[in-house]
Amino acid sequence: MKSKNLSENILRSVKSKGFKYIDLPSVIEANHIVQRSGENFRKFIFSFTDQEGKEICLRPDLTIVSCLRYLENNLKGKEKIFYSGQAYRKSQNKKDSIIRNQIGFEILGSKDEKNDDKEIINTSLKSLQNLKYSSGTLTIGNVEIFKLLISKLEIPARWKLRLLRHFWRDEYFNDLLKRLETNADIDPTVVEVDKKKFLDLLKQDPSTMIAGRSIGEILKRFDTKIKDPRTASKGKKVSKIIRSFLKIKCPINNAVKELNKFFKKNKINLAVDQKYFPISSNKVSKLNVMFSTSGGKLEYYTGMVFKIDIKSNSKIINCCAGGRYDGLISDLGSKKKVSAVGAAFNL
Amino acid sequence: MKDLIKIGIPSKGRLRKDVLNIFKKNKLKLISKRGDRDLFGSVKAKKNIQIIYLHARQIIERLADKSLDMGFSGLDLLKESEINIQKNINVYKSYPYGKATLVVAIPNDFIDIFSMADLEEVAFEFKDKKKRRLRVATKYPNLTREFFYNKGVTQFSLVKSVGSTEVAPFTGSSELITDITSTGSTLAANNLRIINDGYILKSELCMMVGKSSLKNKEFQKLAKLLSTKY
Repeated sequence: MKSKNLSENILRSVKSKGFKYIDLPSVIEANHIVQRSGENFRKFIFSFTDQEGKEICLRPDLTIVSCLRYLENNLKGKEKIFYSGQAYRKSQNKKDSIIRNQIGFEILGSKDEKNDDKEIINTSLKSLQNLKYSSGTLTIGNVEIFKLLISKLEIPARWKLRLLRHFWRDEYFNDLLKRLETNADIDPTVVEVDKKKFLDLLKQDPSTMIAGRSIGEILKRFDTKIKDPRTASKGKKVSKIIRSFLKIKCPINNAVKELNKFFKKNKINLAVDQKYFPISSNKVSKLNVMFSTSGGKLEYYTGMVFKIDIKSNSKIINCCAGGRYDGLISDLGSKKKVSAVGAAFNL
Repeated sequence: MKDLIKIGIPSKGRLRKDVLNIFKKNKLKLISKRGDRDLFGSVKAKKNIQIIYLHARQIIERLADKSLDMGFSGLDLLKESEINIQKNINVYKSYPYGKATLVVAIPNDFIDIFSMADLEEVAFEFKDKKKRRLRVATKYPNLTREFFYNKGVTQFSLVKSVGSTEVAPFTGSSELITDITSTGSTLAANNLRIINDGYILKSELCMMVGKSSLKNKEFQKLAKLLSTKY
């Protein structure tokens, strides 16, 4: 089927599920992207300055632009929207195209989160009927379960936050686990030297600012750090638990059983139930439905995540991916947390 | 002139002195008709060589656009340049001169920051509490961005600096800096210290050549000569 027809058919399927079409701007302020995704993301965007010297960029991602629209139009309440168009992103890999055609659909500002997760997956499955394929896999995960696991592990709070912040970055996350296994946090000789400085700083007004930070906040963090060190032996144990957790992969109807077995075996006071999984059947149409703990490698995902890989002409193609990103709109500047879940077809 | 070899030499500073010394040791006498301020020069008895005195950064750009065949500059400046510039340039020889390191430096009073891992944590806390990112003043945005990201520090913004970067944390324009240092004494004099694992790149004086110039045999001879005695 020609790409244009395919795209029109997918759009029709999404619309039939009650989603409203919206137009998105092609250029946005680069600052939104850099504030949200960090300075490093700048190397992926095509940016330029307008006549007033403001840095703007071609949209590198449709989800961020759609969330910005929700925020800037001061929208409230539930919105079911869909959009299609091109996203522009530089790539280190020459084989990757800089233009990506996407169709996305989202439910924003709703309070019925579990049902919305189901609806996004069902809409993806309905749209998938427009594609020719022989078989495939729908892989579902949930970042929330990883967060729960980390909250129960015996490591300093700052290490828990560190692991959660970098869960989506495979290579760096692996480095973190290696560090957790080997080095202890505190170098006693350095602490001795810094303790003298610590005593000097204690004599000063804690509200005094030094390069954007107050003496009070510097002292507080120093104190927390030396009082809550991490030992290499505990780190080794924790790292082992995380590594084996991230290997869990099973048919979706076994997910609850497998996870609870894992928690029990590792003496972790946790139990999950079916509410974490929007689907309980192992087969939907031509797709096998799997649960995986290692999915969702996008910085902004906060809950359910999924991807669909299909086999077409003996090739495995990742055609659709999505998940929940409840923190994205507040990261872009909203004072209130706005729930958000969505998916995109890459054509 | 056909087969004219154009060589870029830093127009001032320590690197210029070191390069002039290399030429001297190899018995190549540099001549400037209009005195020390003349930005063009030649080599005695070598009519096929033209010397152009340029800023060390410019030397790299001119090598990439082929208006120079050979240039002397710091490795830091080459590595900081864009990929399309780097791919047109080869480092032919590294010399034991101009040794310096690009480092991450913070105010001495930041006693809670010992490693880049600490900085990663502080950067996140800073963004959460102050709703803005930690600012890093630098003349090396590309190398800094890459290094910070590889060390897990993602929550920062760059403030481009053109000079006296060391003062930025104390004038309200950044919270920390990255800068090139040889002994660390300027950093220390300005109440800054290097983060334990905050070493970004070791740099030194290099002879760089345009990839296309290497085909010329006269050029090859000259490059070899300048690589032997230094």
